[in-house]
Amino acid sequence: MKKTRKNWLEWVVFALGLILVSATLGYLIYAGASTGREPPSLEVRLGTPEQRQFNFIVPVTVVNHGDETAEGVRVEVVMESGGEEQARGELDLAFLPPHATREGWVTFAQDPRTAQLKARVLGYQKP
Amino acid sequence: MSPRKSAKTTERTVAESLQEYGRGVAGGLMFSLPLLYTREVWYAGFIAHPYRLVAYVIATFVLLLAYNRYSGLRRDASMKEVALDSVEEMGIGLLLGALVLFLLGRITTGMPVIEIVGIIVVGAMTVAIGVSIGTAQLGEGGKEDEGLGGSSDKNEIHFGGQIVFALCGAVLFAANIAPTEEVFVIAIETSWVKLLGLAIFSLLIAFLILHYSDFKGASEFVRADHPTIILLGTIVTYSVALSSSALILWFFGGFAGVTLFTALAQIIVLGVPATLGASAGRLLLQ
Repeated sequence: MKKTRKNWLEWVVFALGLILVSATLGYLIYAGASTGREPPSLEVRLGTPEQRQFNFIVPVTVVNHGDETAEGVRVEVVMESGGEEQARGELDLAFLPPHATREGWVTFAQDPRTAQLKARVLGYQKP
Repeated sequence: MSPRKSAKTTERTVAESLQEYGRGVAGGLMFSLPLLYTREVWYAGFIAHPYRLVAYVIATFVLLLAYNRYSGLRRDASMKEVALDSVEEMGIGLLLGALVLFLLGRITTGMPVIEIVGIIVVGAMTVAIGVSIGTAQLGEGGKEDEGLGGSSDKNEIHFGGQIVFALCGAVLFAANIAPTEEVFVIAIETSWVKLLGLAIFSLLIAFLILHYSDFKGASEFVRADHPTIILLGTIVTYSVALSSSALILWFFGGFAGVTLFTALAQIIVLGVPATLGASAGRLLLQ
C-alpha cells in the first residue's frame, strides 16, 4: 500500500488546526462550566448629553450581567425637571448577548442638560 | 534522503499542498457563504449554550472523519491519516470562518469572548465540511491514488459510505436554511395535507436524482437491480435527510417551546432541501 507522508507545510497546518480546535473546545467547556443560568440582568448607563444640529442626544449604554441573551430590549429614558416629566425617549436593541454591551442614543427636542434623566429597561424577551 | 522515504512512501511537494489547501478554501467558501451571510446564524452563536456548541463541533468532527474515510481520494488512507486530515480541515474551517466573519463586520473588538467564539463555531463547522469536500472533489481527481484499488474498488457500493455521503450533502444543504426564521414560519402556517405533499415531493426528488435522471455517478454508485431496492434506497435517503434536518433544527433551537406538530412540520419542511442534498451527495460527493 502506498503511503503519502505529510510535508512540513502540512504538519504546520495540522499543528495550527490542532491548537485552534483544542483551544476552541477547551474554551467552550470552560465557558459552559463557569457560566450559570442567570436570567438577563440589564444595567443602563447614560452618558453626557450633547447638542447636535437638529436635536440633543444622550448616549445610552446597556450591559447584560446575566448569563442568558435578552432579545428585543426596550429602554426608556425620561427627562424630568422639578419632579415633572418633560419628555420621553426610547431605544430598542435587537439582541443583548450574555455579558455583552450595546450602545446607542436617545434624542430630545429640549435641552436635557439642565434636566434630570432617568433610564430604565422596560422589557425584553427570551430568544 | 531518509531510508524511510526511499521506501514506498512519497511526499507531496509544498506547492502541491498549497494547491490542495486552495481547493479546500474554495470548497469551504462555496458551501458556507449563505450561512455566514445569515443574521440568525450570527445570533445562534451566543444564544446556544457552550455545551451545545461543543456537541456541534464534535458532531462535525465525526462527520469529517467519516467523510474523509469514505471519499474517493483517500480510500487507501489509514485511520490516523484520516484523523490528521480532519483536524487540519477543522482548523482551516475555523480560521476561514473567522476571517470572513471579521471582514463582514460580525466580529468586533468590543464583543465578549464567548460571543466571538460562538459565532465562529456556528459558521466554521459548515466551512470545515466544505473544505473537506472541496479538497476531495474540486481537484483534477486521484492523480496519486487512482488505479490502486482500481475499478474493482469503485464497483463495490459501500452502504456506510453512501449513508455518510448522503449525510454530508443533507447537512450542507439544510444547514444554510435551518437557522432562518422562514422554516418556522412555514411550519406554523402549513396544514398537514401540504406537509404530506412536501414529504411525497421529497421522496420524488430523491427518486428522480438517484434513479430516474441518469445523474452523474448514478449507475456506478446506486444499486437499482430491483424495484424493492430502488424503493428502499429512496426511503433510506429520505430518512437520512429527515434525521439530519432534525439534528440541525435542534442545534439552532428550532424545537424550543414548540408543539410536537410544529417540530415535525419543521423537520419535513427542512427535509426538502436536505433530501436534495442527500440524494445529490450520494452521487457527487464520492
